[in-house]
Amino acid sequence: MIFDWLIPSLIATLLVLAAIGALRRVNFWRAGQAEKVDMWAGLLAMPKRYLHDLHHVVERDKYMSRTHVATGGGFVLAMVLVILVHLFDIQSRILAWMLLAALGMMFCGALFVFKRRLNPPSRLSKGPWMRLPKSLLTFAITFFVLTLPAAGILPESLSLSNIGLTLVSLVLALLVLLSLGEMLFGMTWGGPMKHAFAGALHLAFHRRPERFGGGRSTGLKPANLGGESHGVAKPEDFKWNQLLGFDACVQCGRCEAMCPAFAAGQPLNPKKLIQDMVVGLAGGTDEKYAGSPYPNVPVGKASGSPQEIITEGLVSADTLWSCTTCRACVEECPMMIEHVDAIVDMRRFLTLEKGDTPNKGAEVLENIIATDNPNGYAPGSRTHWAADQNLAVMKDVKKAEVLFWVSDGAFDMRSQRILRAFVKLLKAANVNVAILGDEERDSGDVARRLGDDATFQSLAKRNLATLAQYKFSTLVTTDPHAFHCLKNEYADFDQAGALKDVEVLHHTTFLNRLIEQGMLQVDRFKGGKVTYHDPCYLGRYNGEYDSPRALLSSLGIEVAEMERSGYRSRCCGGGGGAPITDIPGERRIADMRMEDVAATGAELVAVGCQQCTAMLEGVVEPRPQVRDIAEIMAEHLVEQLVEHTVEGAA
Amino acid sequence: MTEHEDILRRDPRAEWIARNRLHPLHQAMTQVSAVVRGPSGLIRKNPHQVGFIGPNGIKRIDRLAGNGQTATGAKRRSSAAQEVTLPLHQVVEPNAYIIVVPDMAGGRLTAQDKDILGLAHELAKQRKALNADENLAVVAVCFGESKEAQFDEAGVDRLIHLLSAEYEGFAPEKRLQALLQIESIYQPKHWLFPDSVHGGTDLALRLAVKLDERPAAQAWQVSIDTTTCRAASGSQDIQRETPRILMILEECGQAIDETRHEVLPLALEVESSVEVRLEDKGLIAVDPNAVPLAEAEFILSAGNGIHNWQQFHDCAALLGATEGASRVAVDDGYMPRMRQVGASGTWVTARVYVAVGISGAIQHMQGIGQCDKIVAINTDAGCDMVKRADLAVIADSEEVLAVLCRLAQQHTGKTLEQTETTSEVSHVA
Amino acid sequence: MLPKVLALVSIGRHPQSGRERRAEQDGRAVEMGLCLQERQLMHLSVAHAGNADSSVLRQYAGMGLSKLSVLAQQANEDVLSPLIDYVEAQQASMVLMGVRSEMGQSSGMLPYLLAERLGWPLLPRVAEIQSIEEGVAQVLLALPRGQRRLVSVALPFVATLDNAAKAPRQTAFGPGQRADIEVINTTSIADEVAAQWQFTPAKPRPKRMKVVKAKTAADRFKAATAKPVGGGGKVLKNETVEEKAQAIFDFLLEEKVIR
Repeated sequence: MIFDWLIPSLIATLLVLAAIGALRRVNFWRAGQAEKVDMWAGLLAMPKRYLHDLHHVVERDKYMSRTHVATGGGFVLAMVLVILVHLFDIQSRILAWMLLAALGMMFCGALFVFKRRLNPPSRLSKGPWMRLPKSLLTFAITFFVLTLPAAGILPESLSLSNIGLTLVSLVLALLVLLSLGEMLFGMTWGGPMKHAFAGALHLAFHRRPERFGGGRSTGLKPANLGGESHGVAKPEDFKWNQLLGFDACVQCGRCEAMCPAFAAGQPLNPKKLIQDMVVGLAGGTDEKYAGSPYPNVPVGKASGSPQEIITEGLVSADTLWSCTTCRACVEECPMMIEHVDAIVDMRRFLTLEKGDTPNKGAEVLENIIATDNPNGYAPGSRTHWAADQNLAVMKDVKKAEVLFWVSDGAFDMRSQRILRAFVKLLKAANVNVAILGDEERDSGDVARRLGDDATFQSLAKRNLATLAQYKFSTLVTTDPHAFHCLKNEYADFDQAGALKDVEVLHHTTFLNRLIEQGMLQVDRFKGGKVTYHDPCYLGRYNGEYDSPRALLSSLGIEVAEMERSGYRSRCCGGGGGAPITDIPGERRIADMRMEDVAATGAELVAVGCQQCTAMLEGVVEPRPQVRDIAEIMAEHLVEQLVEHTVEGAA
Repeated sequence: MTEHEDILRRDPRAEWIARNRLHPLHQAMTQVSAVVRGPSGLIRKNPHQVGFIGPNGIKRIDRLAGNGQTATGAKRRSSAAQEVTLPLHQVVEPNAYIIVVPDMAGGRLTAQDKDILGLAHELAKQRKALNADENLAVVAVCFGESKEAQFDEAGVDRLIHLLSAEYEGFAPEKRLQALLQIESIYQPKHWLFPDSVHGGTDLALRLAVKLDERPAAQAWQVSIDTTTCRAASGSQDIQRETPRILMILEECGQAIDETRHEVLPLALEVESSVEVRLEDKGLIAVDPNAVPLAEAEFILSAGNGIHNWQQFHDCAALLGATEGASRVAVDDGYMPRMRQVGASGTWVTARVYVAVGISGAIQHMQGIGQCDKIVAINTDAGCDMVKRADLAVIADSEEVLAVLCRLAQQHTGKTLEQTETTSEVSHVA
Repeated sequence: MLPKVLALVSIGRHPQSGRERRAEQDGRAVEMGLCLQERQLMHLSVAHAGNADSSVLRQYAGMGLSKLSVLAQQANEDVLSPLIDYVEAQQASMVLMGVRSEMGQSSGMLPYLLAERLGWPLLPRVAEIQSIEEGVAQVLLALPRGQRRLVSVALPFVATLDNAAKAPRQTAFGPGQRADIEVINTTSIADEVAAQWQFTPAKPRPKRMKVVKAKTAADRFKAATAKPVGGGGKVLKNETVEEKAQAIFDFLLEEKVIR
């Protein structure tokens, strides 16, 4: 019978081809730069990363997570058993029954995949992805039929005529070829199933292993300064495991659905960007891309190769500068791909090598270099806002329990209101606090997100040298961007250990502790509905969602949550230097966020970030009021010195 | 006015009323005398006599105390002030000279020029104190056509007016040659130039190089022996002996205001012409929108209240104004970011700023702080821009702009198409 | 062979922080040189007379220069004669620089001395070089309020750059670090005249008060305390649109912004 040799040899051939494809793919990744990865530990940790961490993200969409468990789990099990049963021809009824069960599970899963694809949402890519459910179903059915004899359900030799048998065999062989072609050949030669192969390895060799097991790793990696080139110019300048990460993309488009720049019609779509990186690492054009394009940019014109400069033909610079580094895409990506890292890597090339930061970018960077603040104010006027605040300055006191990192809000009249409110609260709680005064410098956040890591590193080192002179156990700041830099990014440069035993806190966390300890008393808030906007650099970057809400509830406020809140909060449009690079779109991100606010019916939106405050207040009135939580708290502060009158009033 | 104006006349009736305490007008007439000199010579005030009873029987106090414009004495005094003719300052047969080369931007002495003429006289006074024999005249050198009518009141003792057309426009080589001639004839004690972008600095440096002098640039404190100059972009002062050639910053002298001067012409025959290597091709008509916003003299600025953008652009073109915009107009994509006026955009210095449909956010008001005159067109009479404006019009912007466009067309006799073609680079010589 | 343009750069001073930076106008000189080079009109080289260790030189180089020459000089030395030697050795036919340095004496003499000693004409406050054809350049000079004057001049010449010239491009860290900084040792001549001058931090200049020459104390008092006239402007509310527009138009005519 033809069966006996045709099917096994087909499977064997496809396996060999898949192996060749895998080697070819591995070579693409190896074109990237060296990066130290603990291979064995990664491989060993991979199943847990897959089952726990990745599943945790997928689980946000229950329908998809169950579908994927059934389909993916069924397929992996079935594939192993297919090799045992059909390739090595192990005669075991138990194995055959197991295979049938696995295929059954996969079939059920594939049915749901199929259903999903009947009317797919716009974020999903079409093209080859539309045929995947059919291939999955074909695979399940074909091997189900082929396994029936082995399971003893069908007799080994059917009472069919020779011609009939041959015909059946040929049809089955064709189906095997089609389905296995998709599943094995496609997996390593760039079909939709590539995600399984690259994705598994990506999880094993992930550049931020700290993210697995509930951890958090959001600080950018430092650029190597002083070489022949800086940042990523060509695909081969990425680290090899970044390239691998791009290949893991399943084009599910969840990033696209969350991206504020995409929604605002700016020329960025995180999914397309990752697919363009795949085009770059493998060489070719984006003609076959079948998902949503960058807004208002036609598909099919981009082409690249590992040795070609990315911004000269593959991705336009405007795409890279549209990103607000809000990390919504990274948070949402089920494959844990690091979009923001890639974007900043490419920005580094544009800024450090080409000197091509758009619009006000160049001016801002020059100001930071010459004055240590983005707007070019006199460094000696940094403490003017505190002239009437009677704050201790570190230079005089040398040590304090709490160091208040003021940040560049010191120069901005609106932000100064937040600073004063926070100081009022600190004083009410009798906190032993000091500021750095004129010794403080910009944290370097803007410089770093604009790709100027040289300036960032210089600022970080000088700030750390200043901090190292003084003793304090806690550092508090009202600026989540400075908070993120100090907490997560300065460690790479902190040789002297200036921040080693220091707890770096955002003011909402710190105030919440004061409230919990009873050091501060606040009145009940008497006003209308209030909602809370999670700043990206506080929430997604640092996982602080609870303290601000706890503070608001201590005021007796029941937060009317926006649809996009918590880890799914939408950016205000103020991060990543986006207001500086100012890439035109169809709408403004801040306007969209204000619509989110207005949709809750709130009259007041509480914020924990001066940048968010500035962006949201920039929306044309009428609109809800915008206040920092510190301002709301300060307005409702109960002064403790006058206890008896408070009693009388109550 | 008659010459008897200054004679004090007695008013017997008033004197009588003042004596008669029972006269109904006594209190009103004598209130000025609530302050009297007491027998010991000390000033005494009688608090009961201050004020008068008003028509409603309430006591009124006029704190203008006789300084009010209605006061009878004031009229006489002010009319006297108008009559003054300033004394003439004469320099007979001068034997030394201080030469001032004013910018004469626009054909008239600028404020800086006048200050420098004043400073020249101050120096002359100081020299005179040291050496009474020196009979010093302040000479102004004026190139080309001049519209200035008040050289006398600005302190010009002698004037060298070089009227020839070859000094018009940009002619540093010709002018330098004339200055060198003056140098050789008059050997002035000092050469004073305004340190300005109108050409004063340029000419001063050219002269200094030719005469091999070390001039004082950005001088702001000048006496006959020491001069203080700004240096290192205004962060340092240099103290040095006063050189012969000085470039003086703005507001560094007191303009003459108490004397008149002779303005006698000094003759100057400029011989042999120099080789002219810089050929002036004249002023270029600049498209108002090509003028950097920060430098523009006349800005038509658009905000949220503009709905017909084509009309706005047309109007700006017809009026010859540079276009500006508020942040909202830029954010909404109607105007490019480079047109944004305000704290986060461009700080403008326009002489006339017309804000159309801009209510005036604080950042915007900061950005126009240095503008001279503000015109507002707005529908909201209570907005900050209207409060700040020198002329405010409460109306729909579209209607006002439409009429303005028509008026501009009538005035220039041009249509829009013509203005566009002429705004191409053309020479106006 | 293209003719050579030499941009002379100095160390600038940030007005707010007082820190070293690219001097605004010198940066524009380099920018103009780079533009001329990109238009294939001239070949650019850049030189600095002073301290070769300043990090600002890397910022100039980061504009896209592969090489920058430094005539090693101390702060109080006269840079003129080494510069003249250098310009002659380079066979440059155009020298560009800022109007005044942002550090040191800021007298603005250097370009004039250079031009005099080289025997070249000098163009002050250049905004743009429109064209160079057959050795004759059409140059736009910057006048106040954005006005321009066209001047034609034959090469070689010295020009100073106005702030109205194209702003210098962004400096890129990488190329700046890799650029070759060539140090040329020169004989130094101390500036003995300036050595006798006193340099002190700038004293604030007194603001000019409105001096009132009034005869009586009361008049002086009134002048000092009186509100500035015209605190509130004219507001037209109930007139017809025609009248309102006419009022604005008359105002503009009166202010002479419409000609």
